[in-house]
Amino acid sequence: MIRNYIVVAWRNIRKHLFHALLNITGLSFGLGFTLLIAAFVWSEYTVNSDIKNLSNQYIVQSNWKNPDMGLELTTIGPLVKELKIQYPSLVKNYYRWDGVTSNVSSGNKVFREGLQIGDSSFLFMYGFTLVYGNLHTALSEPFSVVISEEKAMKYFGRTNVVGEMLTIESFSNSKHGFVVTGILKNRESNSITKLNRENDNQIFIPASSATYFSRSLDSWNNPYIVGMLELQNGVKPSDLTRPMQLLLDKNAPPDIAKNMQPYLVPLKNYYLQQNNGLAGKMIITVSCIAFFILLMAMINFINISIGKASSRIKEIGVRKVMGGMRKQIIFQFLTEYVLLALLATIFSFVIFISARSYISDVLGRNIPMLSAFPAYYFIFPLLLAVLTGILSGIYPAFALSGIRTTDSVKGKLQSVQANVHLRRVLAGLQFFTATVVLAGALIISKQVALFFSKDLGYDKDYVVSVQLPRDWSDAGIRRMESYRDEFSRMTQVKAASLNWTVPDGIGDGSTMLFTDGQEQTQAAPYESVIADKNYLAVFNIPLKAGRNFDHHSDSNSVLINEHAVQSLGLTSNEAAIGKRLYYEPGSALTVIGVIGDFHFGSMKETIKPMVLSNVHLDKIYRLMCFKLRPGNIAASMQAIEKKWNTLMPGSSFEYLFMDESLQRLYKTEIQLKKASQVATILALVIVVLGIIGLVSLSIQKRMKEIGIRKILGASVTHIAFLFLKDFLPAVLISVVMAIPVSWYLMHQWLNSYAYRVSITATPFMVTIFALGLLTVMLILLQVVSNTLRNPVTDLKSE
Amino acid sequence: MIQLEKISKWYNTNGARNFVLKDIHLDIEEGAFLSIMGPSGSGKSTLLNIIGMLDTSDEGNYRFFGESVFDLKEKKRTELYKKNIGYIFQAYHLIDELTVYENIETPLLYQDVKGSERKAMVADMLDRFNMVGKKDLFPSQLSGGQQQLVGIARALIAKPKLLLADEPTGNLNSKQGEEIMELFKKINTEDKITIIQVTHSEKNAAYGDRIIDLLDGRIQQNIQ
Ligand SMILES: Nc1ncnc2c1ncn2[C@@H]1O[C@H](COP(=O)(O)OP(=O)(O)OP(=O)(O)O)[C@@H](O)[C@H]1O
Ligand SMILES: [Mg+2]
Repeated sequence: MIRNYIVVAWRNIRKHLFHALLNITGLSFGLGFTLLIAAFVWSEYTVNSDIKNLSNQYIVQSNWKNPDMGLELTTIGPLVKELKIQYPSLVKNYYRWDGVTSNVSSGNKVFREGLQIGDSSFLFMYGFTLVYGNLHTALSEPFSVVISEEKAMKYFGRTNVVGEMLTIESFSNSKHGFVVTGILKNRESNSITKLNRENDNQIFIPASSATYFSRSLDSWNNPYIVGMLELQNGVKPSDLTRPMQLLLDKNAPPDIAKNMQPYLVPLKNYYLQQNNGLAGKMIITVSCIAFFILLMAMINFINISIGKASSRIKEIGVRKVMGGMRKQIIFQFLTEYVLLALLATIFSFVIFISARSYISDVLGRNIPMLSAFPAYYFIFPLLLAVLTGILSGIYPAFALSGIRTTDSVKGKLQSVQANVHLRRVLAGLQFFTATVVLAGALIISKQVALFFSKDLGYDKDYVVSVQLPRDWSDAGIRRMESYRDEFSRMTQVKAASLNWTVPDGIGDGSTMLFTDGQEQTQAAPYESVIADKNYLAVFNIPLKAGRNFDHHSDSNSVLINEHAVQSLGLTSNEAAIGKRLYYEPGSALTVIGVIGDFHFGSMKETIKPMVLSNVHLDKIYRLMCFKLRPGNIAASMQAIEKKWNTLMPGSSFEYLFMDESLQRLYKTEIQLKKASQVATILALVIVVLGIIGLVSLSIQKRMKEIGIRKILGASVTHIAFLFLKDFLPAVLISVVMAIPVSWYLMHQWLNSYAYRVSITATPFMVTIFALGLLTVMLILLQVVSNTLRNPVTDLKSE
Repeated sequence: MIQLEKISKWYNTNGARNFVLKDIHLDIEEGAFLSIMGPSGSGKSTLLNIIGMLDTSDEGNYRFFGESVFDLKEKKRTELYKKNIGYIFQAYHLIDELTVYENIETPLLYQDVKGSERKAMVADMLDRFNMVGKKDLFPSQLSGGQQQLVGIARALIAKPKLLLADEPTGNLNSKQGEEIMELFKKINTEDKITIIQVTHSEKNAAYGDRIIDLLDGRIQQNIQ
């Protein structure tokens, strides 16, 4: 029997190939996209999952009463160590690391790399494997280094490099060789080797070499150490609250002990929770998008199936006359739709394979290949196919098999009239979703454009930053300034600046400052930027009052932004000039100028009061920034590199344009924008397939009517109008109904940005117009191509 | 075999009952060959459909081999119907997507006949109707007469006791019609299959051993 069903199904597919293809294509796009998103979600959920003894692994985070005193991400190095020593019944193991950036070289290959200086427990605590080298001794000697396979390839072009040397610079400008003692096997992303996007460290240095970098993991004064713990079986994180507090009270400086509250986060959920659950939110967003795309695809499938089904009424009648039970007829239809859906599933795998790298790029995450999934995972797409088949078959199956046999045999359809309304509602739902997606994508694009617009408060164009080798002595700073002046004289360079940071949200945090007449306890946070006198020129930041840094004696002078003027309670920029600000009593900084507000960090946050201090005050720098003259940028960069290499031989030249820095800052938003664009394209494809399907079915059914009308003298326009009248109102109603929903969703999304575009009517008008035009064109196209034939053939074909 | 008592059927048009069948009494013996005649719209097809259990009446009683058909559950009724009744239409009503072979086979599939047995039964039919060479063709590749032969083969394959035919020759020329009628006669006498046919043709009606004439839903004449 089943064989018979499949044969009939297959012949029906072949006979109505066009509609079958519409049906299968739409569904396979939807399923393919859903599978890709599911794979993405799966890989996000499995971050850290292959860590050994995962349920006992924790990272120590810190709550600070005063958030400017330390990072949430880090803790005090000796805290985790002492926990293990003093509470061995609670703590099984610990791992601490400090992240630094320095120049790493092998021969003439020099790059700036993130280094992870930490305990040797790292290698065996998490179940890592070394491709080469001994897991237990690799990090036991100072000046040894373990690197990833990827870095081995980068520096040596092969992975079997145990015994080779890497030269690493310290921060006092000395260089030392490090023996490669182990090659870490490449792994899926995990929070140990890649704590976050800024810390994708692949070079691991033993804690015994920390002093070479003037670092210490064992100081109770340094709250910037990442600390991880493996607890004993059965120990709850809350069991450590008291021990941690006791250790802090006993050992840490009182202001840290008072302000800091360490707590444990399981590594199991750490990845999804970090950054306010950023990864989790992204998962929810893309899952919703995928859900709606799939919903549209399924609606499409259902809609075309229902449309087609009415042409089967006679067959159903005949089958009943031959003894077919209603149950059997229903089963036959369901088999057919499931078969179609399975075909679509097969195509969706093809789509998965061909779109994988593109979607990986869009989502900024490597989506695993199909082969990476355990075999039983394939049950889910199959179940999904069966479900789609059943969902789409259920209406036609029940409705059509329920028609009285005597009507059915005659091919009478009136009892199925209701399905015209159902199909209109379903098509309306498609347009509804398409509108939400399309208008949403337009608004997201507009907001993302704002991030890169002129409203930044500075000019990002032609600005490029290069990492400098580090020498923070007075002489080192003066040397850098002379280099800067040499760069400034280059014809390709409009201005060059020595500074700590570009406006990419990664500053050196904020500083607590207070002014005359205030107590230190009244200190307010200021965003701190450390730079030189050329910073304003490079970024084209306007000076609103006073003057820029000028003389060397300006080392205690600072510039503040207009927000700072307001927060000081001053009415004019000029009034701020000469005001004094203090870190602590006695150390006065004098305000010499007021600069315009500009976006230092993400537009999620409001612009904060800012203090721009002199590199001579803080005696630290990180970057050389250039404002290039328009022209051949590649040639300019080459010229700068050449000069760089003569001035600072042996240092790396790795540069980043301001646009790229902003792209990193707004990575999630850009991902969302791209994802919404992909979704829009898919939504439009499915809508197009849907309209084609509905209109062509309707034309097929009304062939005879069209024929008669033509014989009676109706023109093509007249006939096209018949169909427009049928479809257009439903389209417009659903599009209009979608607008408030879309508006609400976008309003919610935009609300998380302190600076946002206003939602105007334009994106909605564009959406209505685009979808309306699309519908009209598709209808006209089909009506014209179907009615140009001789009407007599249409009449006969009944 | 068949007992109809006081069968009435009506449609409500503008609130008034519009009788299609009115007080039909009919007894049909097993082995009979009955022809139903009457002008268009007189209710012939309706009556045949009621006898064929595809339709119900609004009033009256229908016994089939002693079973009260209208009181049966759908499942039971389908069971009874599947076992005993074969149906032939004026417009053949073959399933377009199935070959001749598959069309004939379909009723057996619904009756869960085993594969090997099915094969033998279909082969027998194809042979009897001289269609072995056409078994893999689709209905659209056959002439009207041939299609009707397939329809008859399909109706007979499950060895029904009652064969119902609604204008089986309506779409055929007189020569083809005659052949079908000869076939009916043969089935009726040799295989002892009861036949009820609706026809407009006096000549075809004469093949039966009994003719009833319907007029406005009433039996006008009952000629043995
Ligand atoms: N759904 C309906 N609503 C109202 N009247 C109906 C309906 N279906 C059938 N009829 C009426 O029932 C009557 C009998 O129809 P039936 O098909 O039985 O006629 P018939 O004798 O087979 O005619 P023909 O020889 O033309 O096939 C007709 O007058 C028809 O108009
Ligand atoms: Mg009739």
